Amino acid sequence: MTSSPCSSIRGFAAPGGSDIQFSKLPWLVLTPALVFVFVGVFAPFLMTHDPAAQDYTAILKSPSLSHWLGTDYLGRDLWSRIVGGARTSLVAMAFVLVAALVIGVVIGSIAGYVGGLVETILISLIDIALALPSLVIALALMGVFLGENFDWLSDYWKMVLALTLAWWANYARMSRAVVIAELQQPYIEAARVMGASHLWVFARHILPHVLGLVVVYASADAGALVLAIATLSFLGLGVAPPTPEWGQMLVDGMSYIEEYPSLVVIPGLALTAVVVSFNLLGEAFALQKVPRVLKGRLLRRKRAARKEEDLARTKAESQA
Amino acid sequence: MPEAALTENPASDPTATAAAIDVEDLKVHFRTSAGRVRAVDGVDLNVKIGAFHGIVGESGCGKTTLARAIVGLQSATAGRVRILGRDRAEWQSQDRKGFARAVQFIFQDPLGSMSRRQSVQQTMEEPLRIHGMGNARERRRKVEELLELVALPASVLDRLPRSLSGGQRQRVSIARALALDPEVLVCDEPLSALDVSVRAQIVNLFARLQAQLDLTIVIVAHDLAIVREVCSAVTVMYLGRVAEEGVARPLFADPAHPYSQALLFAVPSPDPRVEATRSRVLLEGDPPSPLNPPAGCRFSTRCPVAVGECRASEPTLRGVRHGGRAACLLADRTRHPVL
Amino acid sequence: MSGPVYAVKNLVIDLYTPTVSVRAVDGVSFEVNSGETLAIVGESGSGKTVMTLGPLGLMPEGVTIDLNGSVTAAGQDLVTMSPKKLSKLRGGQFGVIFQDPMSALNPMLKIGPQLAEQARRFAGLSAKAARKEAVSLLARTGIPDPEDRYDRYPHELSGGMLQRAMIALALAARPRVLIADEPTTALDATVQAQILALLRQIQEEDGIAVVLITHDIGAVSVLADRVIVLYAGRIAEEGSAIDVLTAPVHPYTRGLLASVPDFRSDTATGTREIPGLPPDQTRLLPGCRFADRCAQAITSCRRKRPEVTRVGGAAVPHRAACPVVIAVEGVARHA
Repeated sequence: MTSSPCSSIRGFAAPGGSDIQFSKLPWLVLTPALVFVFVGVFAPFLMTHDPAAQDYTAILKSPSLSHWLGTDYLGRDLWSRIVGGARTSLVAMAFVLVAALVIGVVIGSIAGYVGGLVETILISLIDIALALPSLVIALALMGVFLGENFDWLSDYWKMVLALTLAWWANYARMSRAVVIAELQQPYIEAARVMGASHLWVFARHILPHVLGLVVVYASADAGALVLAIATLSFLGLGVAPPTPEWGQMLVDGMSYIEEYPSLVVIPGLALTAVVVSFNLLGEAFALQKVPRVLKGRLLRRKRAARKEEDLARTKAESQA
Repeated sequence: MPEAALTENPASDPTATAAAIDVEDLKVHFRTSAGRVRAVDGVDLNVKIGAFHGIVGESGCGKTTLARAIVGLQSATAGRVRILGRDRAEWQSQDRKGFARAVQFIFQDPLGSMSRRQSVQQTMEEPLRIHGMGNARERRRKVEELLELVALPASVLDRLPRSLSGGQRQRVSIARALALDPEVLVCDEPLSALDVSVRAQIVNLFARLQAQLDLTIVIVAHDLAIVREVCSAVTVMYLGRVAEEGVARPLFADPAHPYSQALLFAVPSPDPRVEATRSRVLLEGDPPSPLNPPAGCRFSTRCPVAVGECRASEPTLRGVRHGGRAACLLADRTRHPVL
Repeated sequence: MSGPVYAVKNLVIDLYTPTVSVRAVDGVSFEVNSGETLAIVGESGSGKTVMTLGPLGLMPEGVTIDLNGSVTAAGQDLVTMSPKKLSKLRGGQFGVIFQDPMSALNPMLKIGPQLAEQARRFAGLSAKAARKEAVSLLARTGIPDPEDRYDRYPHELSGGMLQRAMIALALAARPRVLIADEPTTALDATVQAQILALLRQIQEEDGIAVVLITHDIGAVSVLADRVIVLYAGRIAEEGSAIDVLTAPVHPYTRGLLASVPDFRSDTATGTREIPGLPPDQTRLLPGCRFADRCAQAITSCRRKRPEVTRVGGAAVPHRAACPVVIAVEGVARHA
């Protein structure tokens, strides 16, 4: 008997921290996100045409065997542009997420672990960065980066930089919270008593918890980032043509929305599906923390098994 | 004492003092929003090498804080702690790992004191890894030895601490503390989270380990019967001070301090026939707050025999009949009628 | 008043969570009579809390609980009762004291009004009378200056005082059964003694039934008239407190008592322990649940469930579920 019913009565709460059971996620709703990642990674093999290649003999074509989703006003293959756009978003998103995560974890961990004046200063920094919506900050930073001083950066990297600077603070705030919560756990003291250095305690005990939570959050945050990248590109501040990008495709398609709505609808649907899917991933993670009650078929099955066991025992005892 | 004079093992060094732990006028105060909490407020404690020393008292008496201060989990406001002849603070700041190899601590909540992500094997190996001891195979062998020492089956190794029973968890935490072969083991209420029959198992385990490994054990406890059963020496604390100390059995048989008397008296007998014949309550009210301890003798506000003199000055420890010491002006002179 | 105020017959409780199914209570029958204190003794996992509070609908969230058998109070069967009716019956018939006072008291409300509300709702007092009742309850439970404490918030009281306030709250509805779930476990020795004395005084003055759920043999010895020793969801032994604590029959009861040293006696020869661990209650196996830890177990112990059998001729029936000890030691069967 490992978890006794009596002690469990007070302790049935969901496991604390970032202990998430991946086996219980609703994988179906996550399909778009998974497809997005798959398509982004294998884009070169999935594209039937060069997404930037213009073909004036095939402008605004309907779907056909050679152009699965038709072509746009420059004769570019829509399927290849959607696939290429997925890759562009995925790569930019990965850059931003990794950079924001690293910066956030480092700053948040220092704030939480060191404490004192260092923490006060870093918290102020985090608070300032969190005062405005990330997208607004990213837009403002793009405004700055478009100035002459930043000519050495391509537009693409300006976007990545702006988004990173707009995105790290959430991870910093979260990392700090996890560090502080873990530091209060007695097992940290136990490790110190065993002679562990601060570095040991941080690297072995605290960092895994921080990363556990932050990575989960980041995967749910990816949707917002995909949207932000599309938004910036839509506004002409992000990925420059002719690189395929969904936000760009929306702008391009706008002029033809009456006659060729698919030019807007297809990238729009792709974007919506991916963003919704990532958000649902976040929801699923959040729901993991709510204690689950057994019901439905599983409960009936367990009850039936119990009844059978009970009968078997009664039979065994009556024979003895 | 000059540091150079110390050998690796002061216990076997005839020039070293015979005290495993020597606490001198220790004060640990906490600043809170409500004021200054005097958790430990001038405590002297002497634990001999090889002793099984119990510290008892009610919550807020400072027993846990004292234990934590001994191993440096709590920094002292004033006074000092010497362990195996060396100044604790100095030793720990110069050689954290060396100190850890000599002195280990066991926490009240075994589950909380282990990472919830580490298996039992990883948990037990951690001290060895921190100290860079042995390769994977040697560590594995040491873990197996430790398992045997605390009577755990090898099948627990791959499990997470939360899937173990309370007694098993405490065994793992004891095994982990012993991984570094310490000389002194300080335990903060290691029994209070356990069931009665399991408590007996763990107490017996402590007693066996102490004899087998020549350990000096300090155990903070609230179960007086168990302290009397296994401890050689005992210290009774009240509101951050030592009320009485001495050899466990004589002290329990003839407590000199009215507080010790009341504390012992409050413990019900497991025999209802005995219970039916005695009145139960000697002390009224809760212990006062350590935020602002009463003037004079700290126990005078609840003491059934206190006289005016008791409120005037704080009594110091002095020798009493059972051979130990008590901090009471009326020690041995007055006994409450129901006692 | 005669007859049981709370009667449980062949109670089986299964708990289901997404990860485990546990048979927490495995065929238990007992009665609580008015005017007596019944102690239910067991270690964690023995089912003592589930058995007593489960039928009253006091269960944690996240657990599916299946009750089988009959549980009667005030002439009604609690097992088949709707949750709404059960809640009403519980409020009027049962007062519950928990280990942690803060689980019963609302930290946002003053103490007095919480008591008065209970008295108004369940004892049917007018607002004015309820207030008076609340103050007198505070005084009765030994809280000094009750008029002043009436207007205090829970956090303004010390641990011992909070425990008393919770007892007052449990009494406010004028229950017929007072259930105390580990009421003294978290308290210090001297405060523990005060609370035990208070419970005893209440029981004597009001003549209500008290059910004490505990693992503390000392508390049992102070308070209980009758004792039920529970092991792994089954009754190991029951009888008067004196019989069970001084002349135990079941090997588990004996082991449990032996692991509690009595420092007043000088015969102590070291603390004895029960070897091994409590059984796995996720599986239903035939035989005695204690057999694996029992030095006296024989083959038949693992085959057949031991019946709870009366031993001796005491006025309060003394029963134990161990045919082996009864046979070997010739503990007289009740005719």
